[in-house]
Amino acid sequence: MPSHPLRVAVVCSSNQNRSMEAHNILSKRGFDVRSFGTGSHVKLPGPAPDKPNVYDFKTTYEQMYNDLVRKDKELYTQNGILHMLDRNKRIKSKPERFQHCKDKFDLVITCEERVYDQVLEDLNSREQETLQPVHVINVDIQDNHEEATLGAFLICELCQCIQHTDDMENEIDELLQEFEEKSNRPFLHTVCFY
Amino acid sequence: MEISSKEGETPIEMTTSEKVVELLNQAALIPTDEKLTVLKQVQELIINKDPSLLDNFLDEIIAFQTDKSIEVKKFVIGFIEEACKRDNELLLRLIANLNMLLKDDSVNVVKKAILTLTQLYKVTLQWLVRAKVVSDMQEACWDLVTQMKGDVLALLDSENDGVRTHAIKFTESLIIILSPRTSESDVPKRQEGDISLDKVPKDQSYIRYDTLCEEGKTALEKLLKFMVHPAISSINLTTALGSLATIARQRPMFMSEVVQAYETLHANLPPTLAKSQVSSVRKNLKLHLVAVLKHPCSLEFQGQISTLLLDLGMPQNEITRHTPAPREQRKRARYEQYTEGKKVKIEPALIEDDDDKEEPAPLSVPKPVAVPVAQSAIDLTAEFLHPLLSPENVANLVLISMVYLPDVMPASFQATYTPVESAGTDAQIKHLARLMATQMTSAGIGPGIEQCKAREDEVGKEELNEDNTAGKDILIKRKVPAVMMGQAISVVGGYSEKPPPSEAPSAVKRLPEPILPSAQTKITGPSGRKKVFRLSDVIQPLSDTQIETLTSKAVKRILHSEKAIAQSGMSHVRVKLLSRLVTQFEGMMKDDVLAFILDDIRTRSDLAFSLLYQEYNTYLSQLPSGLLDSYDHCLYTLLSGLQEKPEQRDGLFTKLVLEAPIITESALEVIRRYCEDESRVYLGMTTLKELIVKRPSRQFQYLHVLLDLSSHEKEKVRNTALAFLKRMYEKDQLRDYIEKFALNYMQLLVHPNPPSLLFGADKDTEVAAPWTEETVRQCLFLYLSLLPLNHRLVHELASVYTEAIADIKRSVLRAIEQPIRGMGMNSPELLLLVENCPKGAETLVTRCLHILTDKVPPSPELVERVRDLYHKRVPDVRFLIPVINGLEKNEVIQALPKLIKLNPIVVKEVFNRLLGTQHSEGSSSVSPLTPGDLLIALHNIDSTKCDMKSIIKATNFCFGEKNVYTSEVLAVVMQQLMEQNPLPMLLMRTVIQSLTMYPRLGGFVMSILSRLIVKQVWKYPKVWEGFVKCCQRTKPQSFSVLLQLPPAQLTSVFERCPEMRAPLLQHVHSFTPHQQAHIPASIMTVLEANKKTEPVEENEIKPVPPASVIVEPPIVAQKEPEIPIQQAPAIMKEEEELMEQEEADPVIQEEIVDTNSQEDSSKESEILEPHLQPAEEPMEESQPEPSDQQEPVINAEANTTGPEAGNGSEDVE
Repeated sequence: MPSHPLRVAVVCSSNQNRSMEAHNILSKRGFDVRSFGTGSHVKLPGPAPDKPNVYDFKTTYEQMYNDLVRKDKELYTQNGILHMLDRNKRIKSKPERFQHCKDKFDLVITCEERVYDQVLEDLNSREQETLQPVHVINVDIQDNHEEATLGAFLICELCQCIQHTDDMENEIDELLQEFEEKSNRPFLHTVCFY
Repeated sequence: MEISSKEGETPIEMTTSEKVVELLNQAALIPTDEKLTVLKQVQELIINKDPSLLDNFLDEIIAFQTDKSIEVKKFVIGFIEEACKRDNELLLRLIANLNMLLKDDSVNVVKKAILTLTQLYKVTLQWLVRAKVVSDMQEACWDLVTQMKGDVLALLDSENDGVRTHAIKFTESLIIILSPRTSESDVPKRQEGDISLDKVPKDQSYIRYDTLCEEGKTALEKLLKFMVHPAISSINLTTALGSLATIARQRPMFMSEVVQAYETLHANLPPTLAKSQVSSVRKNLKLHLVAVLKHPCSLEFQGQISTLLLDLGMPQNEITRHTPAPREQRKRARYEQYTEGKKVKIEPALIEDDDDKEEPAPLSVPKPVAVPVAQSAIDLTAEFLHPLLSPENVANLVLISMVYLPDVMPASFQATYTPVESAGTDAQIKHLARLMATQMTSAGIGPGIEQCKAREDEVGKEELNEDNTAGKDILIKRKVPAVMMGQAISVVGGYSEKPPPSEAPSAVKRLPEPILPSAQTKITGPSGRKKVFRLSDVIQPLSDTQIETLTSKAVKRILHSEKAIAQSGMSHVRVKLLSRLVTQFEGMMKDDVLAFILDDIRTRSDLAFSLLYQEYNTYLSQLPSGLLDSYDHCLYTLLSGLQEKPEQRDGLFTKLVLEAPIITESALEVIRRYCEDESRVYLGMTTLKELIVKRPSRQFQYLHVLLDLSSHEKEKVRNTALAFLKRMYEKDQLRDYIEKFALNYMQLLVHPNPPSLLFGADKDTEVAAPWTEETVRQCLFLYLSLLPLNHRLVHELASVYTEAIADIKRSVLRAIEQPIRGMGMNSPELLLLVENCPKGAETLVTRCLHILTDKVPPSPELVERVRDLYHKRVPDVRFLIPVINGLEKNEVIQALPKLIKLNPIVVKEVFNRLLGTQHSEGSSSVSPLTPGDLLIALHNIDSTKCDMKSIIKATNFCFGEKNVYTSEVLAVVMQQLMEQNPLPMLLMRTVIQSLTMYPRLGGFVMSILSRLIVKQVWKYPKVWEGFVKCCQRTKPQSFSVLLQLPPAQLTSVFERCPEMRAPLLQHVHSFTPHQQAHIPASIMTVLEANKKTEPVEENEIKPVPPASVIVEPPIVAQKEPEIPIQQAPAIMKEEEELMEQEEADPVIQEEIVDTNSQEDSSKESEILEPHLQPAEEPMEESQPEPSDQQEPVINAEANTTGPEAGNGSEDVE
């Protein structure tokens, strides 16, 4: 078991649903976890698919909450957005963008392939300095509440397993293979260096 | 918190130094987490706040590298890095520590150390390059760093994936440092100040430019080689891909190799990758290709890169978007081949390069000097292939290669396959040619590689030295399996068939390779994952216990897969497998398997047999030195298991025993135990019998067990064994052995004490234990059961008998009844025994005779033998008893005197035989003597031959048999006796006795008395005496008889019994006068003795008319009860006494008999003949006792009667 707790980042597009759900669970389980989005903006469902609510990363969850309450409290209560924002604001004040974060992690978990690509692109574009490795794993999760919850548990299980390995880097390959079989979904996995 | 509060307490004026001291003191004592915090504070203080303190506290901090905690060690490594960066001089002191940590047990420490070395390598090089003069210390430091560099490169072959990843990154960094930075190089801002080869002065004495340059190239080679390892892990591959991209961008001079490597990889993705890993790798490849493509120097390779990207699924427009503009590219200087020793920006070859720009794929002209050989080889081969790829050829190739396709589509193929969009176009053909060329080159074939080989040979002749060649060979060896395995689906399959020399010029070693410390390591370990190819490196020898556990677990799994295998119908294979396995290896599993079999032996018997045979087979294969131990153990366990099982339905035990190739000693022991189990004795012995019959080679061994059991203490076991043995005794080949055993066993009886053999091993016997009935029988069981089958054996018994001690003899006599009876009296051997009667075996023979005649009358043959024996050899009358009914009448009478002198019990037996009263079952033999004859014969015994006492006793026996001696018989006897002349002495005694028994004989007795008078009975004093007594007792009936007596005799009567006179006189007076007239006067005179003396003359002879006498008896009989009953015995006793006095010589007679039979009155003889002698002895010894008791009574009575008589006679007188 690694002597220091695993530093985990969970990344989705808007740092609202999937990454926050996982953030919530992982922090409850005692992980050193942060969550991010990779999109250029924070997008929340709007009254119609082509009319999303768009915020920048500086907007706090509180502000978004209030904004949506103001716009259509019933709609956003019914589709669970308000509930989600309410939860999020109790975790942290506002969404974070992965590309802006210079902190180092041991493990980055992304929630869809597009986000994975963006994370990889970002990490590879950074100048290498310490050469410390960071493993990036993609777990595909559909962007809805139920899948987010299920996905969060899967991520949590995965993190726990990784945390419990004696030598994470040596065993992660096989661990992921097992997980793929168990959960019946593929994981993209790579390593980058700070 | 604690720490900060402490800091708070610290006085402000406390110096940094003091603070550090305090923190260090704390750190030594607190747990890891806090320790790290404290140490980080120290680091901050002495590195950043007050570097002057660094030197002071260096040792204290470094001391923590021995801390148990990995995190603390990692901190120390970080500290070393920081400290050395701060003060390069510290490298001298700290690099060795880093080296130590580099070899730490914990991979995490090693990884951190690698990271730090990556940094410090640069720092060291920079520091040394800056130094005007390199000191010895610095040289040593550099040597160590170089060595560490080698160690880390060697870690590319580490078993740990993470360590390899770090080693790859180190290699990447190394390659960049050890190659010159050029104008085309992408230089990250952060690394602008970093050292690179171009900053190394070429005149440095110690740090040699060319050496470093060479090292850099070697590192690249290593990296490239590492990447093509077919079993490389996906993470390592990803890392390497990234590293190559970095290298290509920062050192465009290597772009060719990088693109080449990408191409090769794309065509040969490691087969070990899982599907998702293939996706990840392809994604990475795409990413890095794009990164390379973006670099201005990629122009030359754009064709290849875009083909790859297309294959990876990137749309053409996107590719174009990432491609730098050619114009721009042209303005910039293209990648230049740098040459050693020169840092050149513009080369003469530039013109040539310009030509190349027109044709992105460099295939036209070989570049003998500038272009790396591998590139050329592929190019050449591709060029060679291109025109050959006609549609027809391609179709043929496809058809041919169909055969080699694997059954299942490999994940890598599935992932990489994209439909060929531009099939048939020149570009596509070129691409195909190139793909094939790549494969061929890496497989070591094709015109390109041959040309290169030729070229290299030339170069090699000039440059290569022996060592390099050696190095190459090593590399070749390593490469072979790599290619074979990795390119399993490669279109080129014949590589391994190529003779080694032709492999030599493989692309990988186109450049001379310096000997590095790492080279050796590389030989032993492949790069990338080892699981697949270098099993022996990964695995470690298991400990013996582990091996044992694993094997036994494996066997157990096979064992317990019983049902599953049975369903598949392959049970026989399992059975065979198990038995083979178990017999081959020693250890626990044998017992496991046996226990498993015994769990359910019925269904697992096939396994049991298989195992047994296998064990035997193993034994046979090791002959002659092999031991049966293992087989024995197996058989023994199985049999014991069966034996201990409570119920045993089918004859598995028998089957196992009979089908076992060899019955070992211990197995035989189990069989024996089985036989001893009363509930299974029959099955056990049947099995044993089968063994004896069907295994002739060892039948005696088995037979012996059965024989042993024949004297078993449990009756059922013993009897069953005996029954089996009897049957086996009929078989000729076994007969002798059984017989011998039986005789040997019987022979034990001659020992004074029972041999310990007779006692079970568990019984702790004292040697001197006496013979008991039990032990004696034990020796005889078998013998006695054989005896009826083979009568000849009886002689052996006789001979043993004569030697045995008395106790044993007694037991033997008791034991032989059944078998002797079984033999029957017609057995010639038995008759022979009787005939021969060995000395000392007389009692045995007698016993036999008794047994034989007990229920059946003796046969003439037997009688004949006995008679012979008696007359010729051993004149012991006791022999005659059993056959007495077979003897002639006169013989019996002759023997009678001797017989009646024997023990009363024996006498009784004799009489029983003679009188036929013994045989309850009607088979009464015809006695040679009638009861009357017997009684008469007794009366006629010569008193010189036998004492009267015995005769009287004998007659008493007769009288005891009231059923036989009826009144009629007695009357006849008396009649006959009375007619004898002289009269037998005991006549009157018998008369009186008969009268006592049958009072109605009174009349008859009177007639007897009358006739006695005629016979002048008074001439026989004894008889006369009895006569008088009889008259006395039968008065008044006898009065008429008395009156018939002559006067003299009547007088004599009155003298004896004076009290008779008065009644008689009275009787006469009661007569009628007429009657009185008949009474002679002489008689009257006697009657009236004192009153008037009448002369008694001739009248006395005048007999009483018999008729009247005969008429009278009924009257007498009625009066008879008046006679006091006690009187009878009293009178008899009296008589006996009288007779005894006269015939008092019996002892002498008896002694004669005794001496004849040679059984002196010694104690032994007494014991020897329980039936006869002991009975005989009491006759002598115990007889006195009763007679002593009786005698006084008799005497007393005699005395009482005596005086009366005396008085009477006196009165009379």
